[in-house]
Amino acid sequence: MKRFVKECRREWKRLRVPDSVANEMAADLTSDLAEAEAEGASIEDVLGSSAFDPRSFAASWAAERGVSQPPTAPAGSPPRWWPLAAIAAIAVALVGALMVIAPKPRVQIVSSSGGLAAVPHTLFRGPPPGLAAHANTVAVHVHELGGLILIVGIVAMIATLVWIWRSRAGGGSGWSSPSAA
Amino acid sequence: MAITGRHTQLLRGVLDLCLLAVVDDEPAYGYEMTKRLRTRGLSIVGDGSVYPLLGRLERDGLVETYRGASNGGPPRKYYRTSPDGRRTLADGVSEWRTTRDAIDTVLNPVASEV
Repeated sequence: MKRFVKECRREWKRLRVPDSVANEMAADLTSDLAEAEAEGASIEDVLGSSAFDPRSFAASWAAERGVSQPPTAPAGSPPRWWPLAAIAAIAVALVGALMVIAPKPRVQIVSSSGGLAAVPHTLFRGPPPGLAAHANTVAVHVHELGGLILIVGIVAMIATLVWIWRSRAGGGSGWSSPSAA
Repeated sequence: MAITGRHTQLLRGVLDLCLLAVVDDEPAYGYEMTKRLRTRGLSIVGDGSVYPLLGRLERDGLVETYRGASNGGPPRKYYRTSPDGRRTLADGVSEWRTTRDAIDTVLNPVASEV
């Protein structure tokens, strides 16, 4: 009997039946089934074929009372978009990581007096000092930006994992379908 | 099997009237209604429970509810017919009798030949 009422409650929760109404229906059902049991009757004697399908019974009762709403996703199932969210977070983190670990461009001024004397020094002349400084500045900015993107990606990954974990552990709260909103 | 199916179909059309009739006599809670119907020879539980139907009657304003004490148990939700429910019951009973008489007229000759 308790199991039957528990299943009904679960279905009412999924159908977003207001708690006060669900409590009332559960209390009435529990009282009736307890009375029947005390009289030696079974759940089937009270509920007929519905005794074998508590979820349908609960859904039908709530629907007839006009207290149910479009169901949320079944408890324990993550949202349909979670793979996309996870892939996006990983991609962001990956881009950030690449930007961080990418080698800094070696910009240096090659002197014509170095060991490359055989080659015309004009070919190895590096960028003018101003441009080299600018390139170094850009490289530093790229690294800083990469670090930021990496952090954002990691935070997004953690948030996605936490959300999935909560949806599996917490009975699907917060996972209503767009139409249910 | 076919007979059981027909019984279900027939009952489905008048079960709301039966529930209104049993609470029109005296207010009752869910299981009590089931017992009253059974006492009058109508076992409906094989075809489903009364609860969803009571829910519909309540939603449509055909029954009123209140919390009342039960025999030693927790307070129960009692149902009684509302003024709209009484009108619906009267109209429904009239319809049922008209339909029943017409069907009897058609079926009676068959029954007498058997």
